[in-house]
Amino acid sequence: MEVSMRKDLKICGMCAAALIFTSVLFAKTNSVSELPRNETLYFNGQQWGAVVNTNPLSTNSNCWYQTQNTMSREIVWETLYMFNPNDGKLYPLLADGDYKVNGKIYTIKIKKAAHWSDGVKLTAHDVEYTFAVHKKYQTPIGLDAWLYIDSVKAVDDYTVQIVASSKNYNPLKILDSFTRFFIIPEHAYKLVEQRNKNDPAAIKADKWDECVGSGPYKRYIENAQKSVLIRDDNYWGKDKSMWGKLPAPKYLAHNLFSDNNAGAVAFQAGEVDVAQQFMSEIWKMWESGLPVSTYLDKPPYYQDVSMPTAWFNVTRPGLDQVAIRKAIAMAVDYDQIKTTAMSNYTYSMKDVPPCLMNPTNPERALIDPAALKPYQWAGKQIAEAKKLLDDAGIKDTDGDGFREYKGKKISLKVECPTGWTDWEASLQIVAQAGQSIGIDITTYYPQFSVMYEDMQTGNFDIIMWTNDGTGIANPWTRCYQSMYSNRGQYVKAERVPSDWSRYSNARADEILEQIPVTTDQAQLKKLYTELNIIWLKDVPGFALMYRPQVFYTVNESVWTNFPAADDNTNIPPTDCTDGYGIAALYRLALVK
Amino acid sequence: MAVLQTPARSFIGVYMNGYMKYFGKKIVWYLITFFFAIALNFLLPRLIPGNPLASLISSATAGMTDSAAIQKIKEEYFHLYGLDKSIPEQFIIFIKNLFHGDFGRSTQTGESVSKLISDSVWWTLALQLPAIMIGWTLGNILGALAAYIKGAFDKGIFPFFLFLSNIPAFGLAIIMLYIFGIKLKIAPIGGSYAANLIPSFSWKFIASVIQYYQMPFWSIVIVAIGGQAIGMRSMSIYELNADYVKYSRFLGIKDRVIVKYVFRNAMLPQITGLALSLGTMIGGALVAETIFSYNGLGMKMMNAITAQDYPMISACTLLITIGVLIANFAVDIIYGFVDPRVKAAQD
Repeated sequence: MEVSMRKDLKICGMCAAALIFTSVLFAKTNSVSELPRNETLYFNGQQWGAVVNTNPLSTNSNCWYQTQNTMSREIVWETLYMFNPNDGKLYPLLADGDYKVNGKIYTIKIKKAAHWSDGVKLTAHDVEYTFAVHKKYQTPIGLDAWLYIDSVKAVDDYTVQIVASSKNYNPLKILDSFTRFFIIPEHAYKLVEQRNKNDPAAIKADKWDECVGSGPYKRYIENAQKSVLIRDDNYWGKDKSMWGKLPAPKYLAHNLFSDNNAGAVAFQAGEVDVAQQFMSEIWKMWESGLPVSTYLDKPPYYQDVSMPTAWFNVTRPGLDQVAIRKAIAMAVDYDQIKTTAMSNYTYSMKDVPPCLMNPTNPERALIDPAALKPYQWAGKQIAEAKKLLDDAGIKDTDGDGFREYKGKKISLKVECPTGWTDWEASLQIVAQAGQSIGIDITTYYPQFSVMYEDMQTGNFDIIMWTNDGTGIANPWTRCYQSMYSNRGQYVKAERVPSDWSRYSNARADEILEQIPVTTDQAQLKKLYTELNIIWLKDVPGFALMYRPQVFYTVNESVWTNFPAADDNTNIPPTDCTDGYGIAALYRLALVK
Repeated sequence: MAVLQTPARSFIGVYMNGYMKYFGKKIVWYLITFFFAIALNFLLPRLIPGNPLASLISSATAGMTDSAAIQKIKEEYFHLYGLDKSIPEQFIIFIKNLFHGDFGRSTQTGESVSKLISDSVWWTLALQLPAIMIGWTLGNILGALAAYIKGAFDKGIFPFFLFLSNIPAFGLAIIMLYIFGIKLKIAPIGGSYAANLIPSFSWKFIASVIQYYQMPFWSIVIVAIGGQAIGMRSMSIYELNADYVKYSRFLGIKDRVIVKYVFRNAMLPQITGLALSLGTMIGGALVAETIFSYNGLGMKMMNAITAQDYPMISACTLLITIGVLIANFAVDIIYGFVDPRVKAAQD
């Protein structure tokens, strides 16, 4: 026994040594060893895995603050304008006031106070340079934007002119670029070009660790457990021409969690202030006494701006019949999806009837609800759906309980990525709807990589996917992705970039080409209404729920004054970081 | 001409010859296995249908409206990851890069796989090695004691071992998390160290690492103790009834000495088990790491498999393969020396 005891002691000693060794191994010297809780705003759900690089031209950054989309994250770098989904408007950031349009020329003034984190002045030349390098090195956003732009030129130090393409005139895409492109410093990024000898692949792979931005925060700590930004106390935005002060938190930190559950547990424990992740039955948190809140204090709790949709492959036998598509859409129990799959985070289809518009006021104002009403459905209309099928001659002829089309039983698979539990639950309800009207629908949940490939190549019957949510170019982008067939070319294409249904309608294509160049609001409303009627009549797909683009739940254990729907600030619930949502950081206060 | 040898030299010569043959054969087989393992590690993940870059491409092209531009992005990604080349070409590049310790980039995040592994493998080893060793040691001692003492001790403790060894690891981890982390709030709920700390060589940081280490560590140890104890108890009971034990008792050899014999013999299969556990530990304590958000390799491998991340899957399975091969080889060597029958078979 003595021998065993000695062995045990030895082993314990080895373990302790291993622990200390590990700690030392991972030790990195920093100026602070601890982030003061009352100076740090913690996030979750925005970063999975470690940051790869901090290069705005990279296609592989995996970096939570290098997010350039319809509502770019304005923390380290900044865009010309910020989008606000609350009112659908643009708010100037680096731009000084509104842009001026003269024909196809867009003129933007740059704020004179703006400068980079290294103190160098930010000028119109940086804007010209930004657009130029994205074009030169063919980044995804550069490739897309330059299809619609002829030139970007700095007229003087504080004026830039963007000339829209005559061939591909699309004002919405021009405005989209104002909110999407992070302006990058010419003087600093030229060094990246030089050290990589202007090689596009090498430049896009450059880590740019010394990154220079114009935003209120700078890169501070990056490792496999966390990513931390520190406030730039010399930030130009404290000038009265912008925010007039610095944001409240000194640090923005994102700990890296293994999955949603781990993030949720940390959030409940008060280790996370702003949660950007799905957490079911959120109301139970405040009912249990936690200082947790969402943007709206009643259902749907979040700002729903996107619409996960079931897409029919209209080239498949059976699904080429509008009656079958519409019958399925009518039979689905959306209220069940609302309560079981979505934790009431969606409006009911009875309250906000389905169409291509998201449930926000700016988008719904673009359609005539009365004109759409005869074509809309509320769900669980089993008798009506059955009648529709019967009238179309699609009946159960062999008595097996399932209907046949052209003598063959209609058997459909409905698909979404595995592990997307709320989507899986929604599709089970779609499958039940099918059974209830005599259509055999089974669920299929492959890996995301398989599902995405299926969607692009048309290897599916019904598939679930979300098109664009919100942004200055929406709802046009969403409608375009949903219905534009590129003049019929997508129907038989081997791979499609959108129009997952492979649906084609010449009039819809025509409308989608007209909308971006239409400025008259009445005409715009007419076009959108007509497009929506086509959508509802032909049913190439149907929205299963409304959903937020970013979840926004806050824990007010440490910080308070977060944006809420009833606070009259017009700050959107975009996690205090995205688009005009960054305004929230300037209002935050510590809990007393 | 006949060479005269002293009996001793002749014995050593034959003895070593037998071993050289034995090890030579083993090494050749291990090398062949290793080559096939590399080929399978490379090939199998690539046979899964689907587009492994789907996640990167879908986020890069979000909001884009031009099909030609989207196609160009897709091609660029495939080129960047070398997926535009044929499988044999990719295999040659894979082997070449292996010599430089380059496993490619993760198709989920674009991170360097070598960096991902070097960032997390130490956490896994620091968690697994002590947990396996302590679980194994305590389990074996308790198992042997139960077999030797018998009576009430065995009757009480054996069902307890059975219970422990049959608790699913995830169940125990979740229960521990709920009781100690969420309800009693005496243990951290997840992570490798406190959320507000920055890695530094300070006692505060080291203390935090130790504190965060406890829950995943004990969740592994407790389950391991049960399994080891049951194995050891059965082996010990078998040995205690063996003829040599009875004979020793007839000879009047003291119990302490007999127990030593019994323990040594019962240990043999347990050592094999230990070696294999150590060999596979590189794969990570999947459950503990995932539930406690511990920054180990197991969790990363799990994510890689779900996301069809070829380079990461290949690298992790290669590491596991190497671990298992080394462990098996070590067991073979130990057996070669310990078990005279091995040598005899070569003569």
